[in-house]
Amino acid sequence: MKTEIKAESTEINSKPAVDSNRRNFFKTAVAGAFGAAAALNIMPAGLQNMAYAAGSDAPELTEVKIGFIPLTDCAPIVVAAEMGFDKKYGIKIVPSKEASWAAIRDKTVNGELHAAHVLYGLVYGVQMGIGGQQKDMNVLMTLNHNGQGITLSNQLKDKGVKDGKTLKRLLENENRDYTFAQTFPTGTHAMWLNYWLAANGIDPIKDVKTIVVPPPQMVANMRIGNMDGYCVGEPWNARAIYDKVGYTVATSQDIWADHPEKVLGTTAEFVAKNPNTARALIMAILEASKYIEATENRAKVAELISQKSYVNAPKDVILGRFLGEYDNGNGRKWKDANFMKFFEDGKVPFPYLSDGMWFLTQHKRWGMLKSDPDYLAIAKKVNRIDIYTQAATALGVSVPASPMRSSKLMDGTVWDGKDPKAYSASFKIKA
Amino acid sequence: MGWHSLCYVLIMLKVMIVDNEIKRCKPLKQALIDNGFDVVAHVENDVHLHDKYLAIKPDVVIIDTESPNRDTLENICVMSMHNLHPIVMFTHDGDKAQIKLATQAGVSAYVVGSIPSERLTPVIDAAVARFEEFKSLRAELSQAKTKLDERKVVERAKGLLMKQRNLDEDTAYEMLRSMAMKKNMKLADLSHQLIEAASMLIV
Repeated sequence: MKTEIKAESTEINSKPAVDSNRRNFFKTAVAGAFGAAAALNIMPAGLQNMAYAAGSDAPELTEVKIGFIPLTDCAPIVVAAEMGFDKKYGIKIVPSKEASWAAIRDKTVNGELHAAHVLYGLVYGVQMGIGGQQKDMNVLMTLNHNGQGITLSNQLKDKGVKDGKTLKRLLENENRDYTFAQTFPTGTHAMWLNYWLAANGIDPIKDVKTIVVPPPQMVANMRIGNMDGYCVGEPWNARAIYDKVGYTVATSQDIWADHPEKVLGTTAEFVAKNPNTARALIMAILEASKYIEATENRAKVAELISQKSYVNAPKDVILGRFLGEYDNGNGRKWKDANFMKFFEDGKVPFPYLSDGMWFLTQHKRWGMLKSDPDYLAIAKKVNRIDIYTQAATALGVSVPASPMRSSKLMDGTVWDGKDPKAYSASFKIKA
Repeated sequence: MGWHSLCYVLIMLKVMIVDNEIKRCKPLKQALIDNGFDVVAHVENDVHLHDKYLAIKPDVVIIDTESPNRDTLENICVMSMHNLHPIVMFTHDGDKAQIKLATQAGVSAYVVGSIPSERLTPVIDAAVARFEEFKSLRAELSQAKTKLDERKVVERAKGLLMKQRNLDEDTAYEMLRSMAMKKNMKLADLSHQLIEAASMLIV
């Protein structure tokens, strides 16, 4: 019994030893090569940024503690730390598994965590002081697109609910309270759930009851009938099918193909004090993201993150959707072109201003912001395109020409960041 | 004293404790009652927290910092009209020390409106004290358990020796002890190794 407990705590507190020889080799080789090249003044211009890791712009911190929540999209943090991408840039990433988004926020704000795998909308919520005190925040990069979903309980399947329309009909015909769960009020899942319900004519505030449940507890709570549906990141939608308690009625990419999801978030204060560390962090995670993006590496990554100290779910539950192989648990199987993406030639990690602004438009839409903020000015302050671009350029990762992108969402609405105030006010169903 | 602060003094603060550790929340409940607080409920850390909060409408919620269900409360902070908000996370200069203590002890608090700190401090202090007490209790417990486990291992190793070498109890124990001394090992560690080795050789 004792040894069991001991084994578990070591697993959580320290990551398995990675081949330190290889890491040292990288460090020496990188420092040596660039040091020499810089001294001789023969370094190509594009590579000069690489010296950030090796020379005068060395990271202010050597150990960087990054919080994460057990979800498939925490992979870039785990891979950067476990596979030694961090060491290449002179830092050691220490992943720290957290129990709640509230803990991620508090510890990041208090400096106990240096940065975190965090819901895009949450960062903007703290920036705006929604539901707590305000703190100036920064988004260093986007960690992933897609790969979340909405699960309904098998009881609804038995009643013939197969999409938003049939759900609306059921809600109109059956007079009882319907409960839906998401993961954090200002976060992404709350926004996907609200958007999907509203696009199907269901008012997420008036027509259903919405609660928050921690991701790893979603499936268990659905099993005992505590809720009719939930919106969460993978693998917790796949897990509901695996455990035969629910089915996927919509993926988040059905709502918005290539939507922004988790970001690498921190405080503006941290970046101001540690700009080199922030840059090194982006570089390490960019490389990890590129690694994860390759199909041939995904099985290995799924295995790695399935461990108890990370996602703590069977590898098979993670791997299917991680490869784009979808089964909705209601008779439909398909290969999803818009599955969870991490890199896509630098398009995923780029912190588009229009992505950040979108969350503000939804916060306003659902009454969390009482008036229209200066959308563009806030996004420019929060999303650190400057530091991101330095890191990406140093690695030769392409940087999109425009900080805005245009997308058409499930209801046909186009979001391009040009008129956030009008966009936010344009929805029929809102608070 | 203004009318509002007078009201605060006269009306008992309603405190809700969210905790599954009965050994921790029972004494906390008692301490708060002794200090004149109205502990309206102590509830389990689960999905029903949302409904329970809305039914009870406490002034203060005390919850473990590491509880996953804090996000359930965060949702109420944002979505409801009850003006609930987290307090431990952001520090005002005046109560930094207290907040640090609370964080270390793992106490998070959510409060409704602006309760003056002289009203709130005793609640937080009581929670910090009970959480700390519980922490050291748990440490003692696990230490005791380690000792017990060690004794069990030594007993098993001794039994093994007795059976394999046909020794009596005292001789077997002496043998273990002198071997441990020679190898400069803890008796429990040596016993553990012996059992492992035996299981490989015998099975």
